[in-house]
Amino acid sequence: MVNILESYAYNNGLKNINPQIKILFAFITLIVSLIAVSPVVPLIIAFFIFLLLFFEAKIPISVYLKFMSIPLLFGVFNIIFMTLFFGISEPWVNLGFLNLIAYKDGFNLGLLVFSRMIGCVSCMAFLILTTPVSELLFLAESFKVPKIVTEISLLMYRYIFVFLEEARTMYHAQETRCGYSGIKKSLKSLGLLISNLFIRSWTRGDAIYLSMQSRGYNGSIKVFHTNNKLGFKPILMILFFESLLLLGVYLTREFQLI
Amino acid sequence: MITGSDSMEIINADNISYSYPDGTQALKNVNFSVETGEIVALLGPNGAGKSTLFLHFNGILRPESGKIKVNSQPIVYDKKGLMEVRKKVGIVFQNPDDQLFAPTVGEDVAFGPMNMGLELQEVEKRVKEALEKVDMVGYEKKPPHHLSGGQKKRVAIAGILAMNPEIMVLDEPTSGLDPKGASLILQLLYKLNEEGITIIISTHDVDLVPLYADRIYIISEGKIIKKGTPRNVFADINTIRGANLRLPRIAHLIEILQKEDNVPFEKPYPLTIGEARKRVLEHLDDKK
Ligand SMILES: Nc1ncnc2c1ncn2[C@@H]1O[C@H](COP(=O)(O)OP(=O)(O)O)[C@@H](O)[C@H]1O
Ligand SMILES: [Mg+2]
Repeated sequence: MVNILESYAYNNGLKNINPQIKILFAFITLIVSLIAVSPVVPLIIAFFIFLLLFFEAKIPISVYLKFMSIPLLFGVFNIIFMTLFFGISEPWVNLGFLNLIAYKDGFNLGLLVFSRMIGCVSCMAFLILTTPVSELLFLAESFKVPKIVTEISLLMYRYIFVFLEEARTMYHAQETRCGYSGIKKSLKSLGLLISNLFIRSWTRGDAIYLSMQSRGYNGSIKVFHTNNKLGFKPILMILFFESLLLLGVYLTREFQLI
Repeated sequence: MITGSDSMEIINADNISYSYPDGTQALKNVNFSVETGEIVALLGPNGAGKSTLFLHFNGILRPESGKIKVNSQPIVYDKKGLMEVRKKVGIVFQNPDDQLFAPTVGEDVAFGPMNMGLELQEVEKRVKEALEKVDMVGYEKKPPHHLSGGQKKRVAIAGILAMNPEIMVLDEPTSGLDPKGASLILQLLYKLNEEGITIIISTHDVDLVPLYADRIYIISEGKIIKKGTPRNVFADINTIRGANLRLPRIAHLIEILQKEDNVPFEKPYPLTIGEARKRVLEHLDDKK
């Protein structure tokens, strides 16, 4: 899963768009989605991002659904839960079993939470599926996130994939020798795998340090980054789009589905 | 600067010994020297001390006794001295995953030049040139884990090239690569050498080495047991076999033809297919 998402980040229809623009867009839209007081705007946002991902970024619908399925499920449960337990006004429907009563205001609140969630997750999906992690880290640095955090994330990001590969190989090697037949053996094999990975990460750390020293490392990773300049036009477009959304938020502030 | 005639020697390990903290003595009185513009191969079985020796060349390890000189200057083991020597001597590590740590190819290649404190423009230029030299242009924004083994190796080489070293040291550059990939790497090194970089490689691939190396050192159990041109070194079959190495396949074939089948080939045995072909043709001509 990580691998799939990751490879789209490096290879999608929007990969040539300046990453800062994408990040700016995702974050402002996320905030708009959060401050919306009715479900309308967040749902529009979700739909708009879906269109962007599908038609512009050319992300297959299956990948998009995979990404959204868990939040969607969670959101639906949330609506049900809030409808039943979060009402304070008069009852809406009496379900007739277990003394469960649905409340109108509970439902509206649940729907609002649901839509905000979908809106925000969409923004995140947009970011993750179209923007490589290295760009996010770079931006984090320019937002004054402490260097130690970005450096560790940078190394972690790279070596997660290396260790994933090694863990997979070791797992196959264990499977080949029937290491996972039965619960007891499975536990033992898994334990061995994990402790082995731990030792390897240790020796690998040593090796990396040597190779970094060879290239003149002296305690801080200086990241080199080339970015095309932020154009004026895309910023204006984003501002225009977000203003429209904000206007939408204002106009639909009283809107309730039921 | 290279001046005078005696400074042809670009790297010199003078009688160095080294033991790891656990007591393993990895190098015993090793003498190793390389002249400007050479391709030198360090040949030895696993555990012979090849990697350990290489780590001395840019001051990562410090010999217990003996001296390392680069351009006739002993390495100075302080911050400034080490930075100096690391600009001159670049090491490409055996496993590219140990070397490529940055999230993208471009950032990784830029790591060395950035540490050298170059202007951003200069860094960008060097990254571009280095990637051009190893034929990996267009991969700048790709993460290393989306590359093949051979491609990773080439990016690792680019990361060193971008620092414009005078000497490039490569620890088993062909290990883990398919024949085509290995051959491509060696061709690349040959090309870099023609552009003026002195090259030192370690390997146990005796078939490829004679094609490229000007001189060979053989290391076994921490000691240099033989040095010379490929022809001279491989003529000493007992030493080669004693070090758990073997002759190049082609030389082995000629040896068998001579010894078992009494085909009158003379020593030294040919080391490459080209030489062998010539000798066989000569032999056929003689018989006519
Ligand atoms: N970090 C270490 N700690 C202790 N012993 C080591 C270490 N690295 C290598 N050695 C030992 O030093 C010797 C030489 O190793 P090395 O230089 O890696 O050989 P090569 O590169 O020729 O395979 C071996 O006996 C090896 O076990
Ligand atoms: Mg080694």
